[in-house]
Amino acid sequence: MNVVITPAMVGQVVISGLLAGALYSLVALGLALIFGVMRVINIAHGTILMLGAYTTFWSFHILGLNPYLSLLVSMPLMFLLGVLLQRTFVRRVVDAPELSSLLLTFGISIALVNMAQLAFTSDLRSVEFLTGAFLLGPFAFSKSRVISFAFAVTLSLFAFWFLQRTKLGKAIRATSQSREVAMVCGINVQRIHLYSFGIASALSAAGGSLVAVMVAIQPEMGQVYTFKSFLVIVLGGAGNYPGALLGGMLLGLVEQLSSLFLTTQVSEAVAYLLLVLVLLLRPTGLLGGRST
Amino acid sequence: MQTRPILEVSGVTKRFGGVTAVNRCSLSLARGKIYGLIGPNGSGKTTLFNCITGLERRDEGEVRFKGGRIDGLKPHQVARRGIGRTFQIIRVFPELTALENLLVVTQGPFEAARRRAEELLRFVTLDRLQNEYAGNLSYGQQKLLEFVRVLMTDPELILLDEPAAGVNPTLLNELLAAITGLRDQGKTILIVEHDMKVVMGLSETIFVLDYGEKIAEGPPGVIQADARVIEAYFGR
Repeated sequence: MNVVITPAMVGQVVISGLLAGALYSLVALGLALIFGVMRVINIAHGTILMLGAYTTFWSFHILGLNPYLSLLVSMPLMFLLGVLLQRTFVRRVVDAPELSSLLLTFGISIALVNMAQLAFTSDLRSVEFLTGAFLLGPFAFSKSRVISFAFAVTLSLFAFWFLQRTKLGKAIRATSQSREVAMVCGINVQRIHLYSFGIASALSAAGGSLVAVMVAIQPEMGQVYTFKSFLVIVLGGAGNYPGALLGGMLLGLVEQLSSLFLTTQVSEAVAYLLLVLVLLLRPTGLLGGRST
Repeated sequence: MQTRPILEVSGVTKRFGGVTAVNRCSLSLARGKIYGLIGPNGSGKTTLFNCITGLERRDEGEVRFKGGRIDGLKPHQVARRGIGRTFQIIRVFPELTALENLLVVTQGPFEAARRRAEELLRFVTLDRLQNEYAGNLSYGQQKLLEFVRVLMTDPELILLDEPAAGVNPTLLNELLAAITGLRDQGKTILIVEHDMKVVMGLSETIFVLDYGEKIAEGPPGVIQADARVIEAYFGR
């Protein structure tokens, strides 16, 4: 390709990368939380994101609710769904081999996607809310992306603060570091699992509500977010919560930067190439994962 | 009711597949005393600890704490009734700070818990490291941290799984002093320990396990002379 790459173009993709990355961080933090606490890879994580997006779509479409205000609906709703899934299904496979939890969450994902297809059809939906861009010097910022970024960063930092500072957050981290010890110290591990799955699902739903204004909404939209979140927690180190935040930003940057040099189809593959490389060279993640 | 034992283990059996790890084991602990639990490797000491604390579900038998059944309770419920334990291999929460390691186990109001945590850290001279991640502490410091974490909930019965293993002599003396100090406060302590000097020096009564069965029980002097105990350790 004979395209001249100017500094302004690089700046533009760096900004786009960070804007996209914050959303990846937010969603991946949920996946990291479930994995950290229960050692379960939740294949249905992106599916819950899809349900969050539909919540935003319908509350916008029917009630005319501001998509950003719909976070107040989608997050509690998906928190409850997460708690319900944990209580009925996932808790049965917490101590089982990984394959059991992978199959179970894969099954949950298929079931939810099919229910969504039945209920909402496979038509592409969109929430046309904020279009256009802010212009600042040579850079253009899509309005919806900037606002989503702000929400994603705020929610991620809040979740992080919650894990670091509150008593429940500390109990969640303690459980993810050693379940047995947490138990004999008097922590009700089952309850911690419920909260963790609920919080993780709320984070994923928030991601769904935020992307609802930017991308087409359809029942299978969640899968790519499951994969990307998985990639992010591998990048950041499995079970490493700050690592998930960093990994998301990194994924956003890598995707956008590679799109500068490569065609879109190839740049999508670059992220997965990165996954393979990290697994080969630094399997514990860039920040180092948990030792156990 | 003063004579009622604080912990009564009666006829507890635990099998793993075809292996009987603990076989009809009965122990009775009186309040305010230090007990030792010894036996060759694989004799079921840790499994018995796990059956008492609820980490393993016993197959047969009963465990009573202060008169009430606790077999069948979940580990956190056993802990909240007043039984604390340490592990053979130290288990602190490596990515929580020393202070957080203590605070995370408490139930009551935060300020009181924080005062108690700081007091306990001072007690084992870790107060200057309270904001350090537990994973960065030395082996001995982690051991002390785990020990005081047990004390955070002010348990009446404390189970210590090899407290002396890998601890240097200076630290060991502090630890032993702390254990007798707890006994003097009225706590009951059950210690699994391979260091015979430690366990014989501390315990008032010793239980000996071999192949999951209790083969002897008595004061240290009697145990040391018991033919079956000698046989279990050294062979016939």
